[in-house]
Amino acid sequence: MKNPFLFAVLALALALGAIAHAQTKKSYTIGLIAKSQSNPVFQAARVGAEDAAKDLGAKYGIQIKIDWRTPNDEDAQKQADAVEQLVLAGADGIAISCSDANKLVDAINNAVANGVPVATFDSDAPASKRFVTYGTDDEKCGEQLMHALAQELHGKGIIAVLAGNQNAPNLQRRVQGVKNALKKYPGIALRDVYYHKETPQDAAARVEQVMEASPDITGWIFVGGWPLFTDNALKWNPGTVKSVSVDALPAELSYLRDGHVQILFSQQYYQWGYHSVELLMDKLYLKKDPENVKIVSPLIPVTKANVDEFANNWKKWLPQ
Amino acid sequence: MTSNQSASLRGRFSAFRLQEGGLLVVVFVLGLLLTIFGGSVQRPVFHEDANGQFQRVFRTNEAGEREPVFAKENKFFNAQNLAQLAKDTSFIAIMAVGATFVIISGGIDLSVGAIYALASVLAALVFQKFGPGGMSNTPVWVSVPLGLLVCIGVGTLCGFANGAMIVALRVHPFIVTLGTMAIFRGVAFVITRGTSVTGFPEVFRDLVRWQIANGLSIVPLAVMVAATVAGGIYLSRLAAGRRVYAVGGNELASRYSGIRVERVKLSVYIIAGLTAGIAALLSLGYYGAATSSDGQGYELNVIAAAVVGGASLSGGRGTAFGALLGALIIQMISSGIVILGIDQNYSQIIIGGVIILAVLFDQFNNWLAKRRLVSRVTS
Repeated sequence: MKNPFLFAVLALALALGAIAHAQTKKSYTIGLIAKSQSNPVFQAARVGAEDAAKDLGAKYGIQIKIDWRTPNDEDAQKQADAVEQLVLAGADGIAISCSDANKLVDAINNAVANGVPVATFDSDAPASKRFVTYGTDDEKCGEQLMHALAQELHGKGIIAVLAGNQNAPNLQRRVQGVKNALKKYPGIALRDVYYHKETPQDAAARVEQVMEASPDITGWIFVGGWPLFTDNALKWNPGTVKSVSVDALPAELSYLRDGHVQILFSQQYYQWGYHSVELLMDKLYLKKDPENVKIVSPLIPVTKANVDEFANNWKKWLPQ
Repeated sequence: MTSNQSASLRGRFSAFRLQEGGLLVVVFVLGLLLTIFGGSVQRPVFHEDANGQFQRVFRTNEAGEREPVFAKENKFFNAQNLAQLAKDTSFIAIMAVGATFVIISGGIDLSVGAIYALASVLAALVFQKFGPGGMSNTPVWVSVPLGLLVCIGVGTLCGFANGAMIVALRVHPFIVTLGTMAIFRGVAFVITRGTSVTGFPEVFRDLVRWQIANGLSIVPLAVMVAATVAGGIYLSRLAAGRRVYAVGGNELASRYSGIRVERVKLSVYIIAGLTAGIAALLSLGYYGAATSSDGQGYELNVIAAAVVGGASLSGGRGTAFGALLGALIIQMISSGIVILGIDQNYSQIIIGGVIILAVLFDQFNNWLAKRRLVSRVTS
């Protein structure tokens, strides 16, 4: 355009027009569907979403309501039904963590076809028409765990990996990340990757069984934090075996304090909800799409040094 | 119409009123409350294009911008929501019809959720073979009936296994089906290794998801109605159905009166397995994927639907139509929580409370009807 002044005026007029158009709607409903009600990480996501609704509502002078529609236990079919019900109930946008990506593709696509944008968090449905996904990069997470343990072991030792359900794709990617990073440490040998039913009791029992059979293990990587949800999972004297784990739920923090675990890597549970609502409101209210479809939320390292400070987060994250 | 015919009609009407009248009132009251208090919703308007695809309708506003057209509708009482309600009800209702047979006979089947999962994953593997990633050139008339046969066949076989063990081993059905619940789900897990199976032939998915208008999938509804009608005819019109009531009412007396009790017991578990297979087939087509964790906890939903529908856990009482209404009431409450915008944290408490209230109301209605009948007979 030859006249920059004219261009600026036009751009300003268009922007004002867009804002004026956007401001015609005064209240928004965001459906939030996590995997299960009983998992505290999703309760933190819910609190995050509700805080975002308050903050953004005040910022834009609108009302934002979070409609929490999470099954009691993991059930992708119920999640798909919830997406359909939310669309029928008039939700403006939906944020979802998918229990089974394949089962949710149609429901998400149908919501999008009905003009309801969908964001995924924590667990994506890549084949669907969701406009954005926000969560952990699992392979990088595995690499980060391995580097942290290698540092604790000073590059020497025998390690084991505890990996929950052997067919969960996200856990497999984390294990792959561990194996990739392990190549950089010739002094460290991987005894094996051990799987278990995803309950705290089964996980703790598997650690005990492995330590009975292989007492020479000097380091553990827990790619999921299940054993640390019990209060007596690690039977060795603190510091004799080094451990690192994903997740930093309140129950796990005591293992950091007593020295059984050296580093926990927390996923950004609160942000799953908060940022998902931000992304949805950017799209709905500001008519702005994210620059990338995939947004990675980095892990937060928690050690003995910052455990108390981190623990305060949970006071804010869990519903009062 | 002769006096005999009109008496027979009156008798049938009374029996209907006795068994399902209370439930119909509950359904009506729930529907009325949701229609009145549910409020309205703005929904996009669609039209069907020349290719049969539903496209959103746009218009040009005063500012010359293209904007989608919305229509205001009642949140509960609109065609799409009612079709959605019917679809959500159908999976549990179909299984509840089968479970009602078992409950009438005095038995219980805890494995229906696991049968649903096993039938789902095995049929899913067959459909996947003929899907876009497999032998997609296979004629539709081979791939779809084969998958269908596997799904319903596996359900029926699992039901047969339950019935055969209960009859042959003379072990309480609670124990046998508790065991098979773990076995069936375990087999499903081993076969799939915990992964989700997807990639089915489009024609199968289109068949189950077929819509008469945008958002109006009626296949699950039609199958649910067909299963209920078939179940109702079997129980109320066939001698085999009367034998199920007889065995559940008094097994010993049935045996002395010449009824082959073992055969009746075997048949009810086969029917329960068959209905679980049918529900699994619909779910496969509608949701397009299966995992070994499908249907977890559905056994309790199914039993709850049958019991709310008037089936007596001590046997001898229950109807297929009652099972459908039981499933519908539970689903209406669940959907109503969404429509009314009630915090989902309270959903389990509300559903549990309303189930108890619905059963109490139904019992009260039965008591009133019986009293009326007695007073009519004595007068």
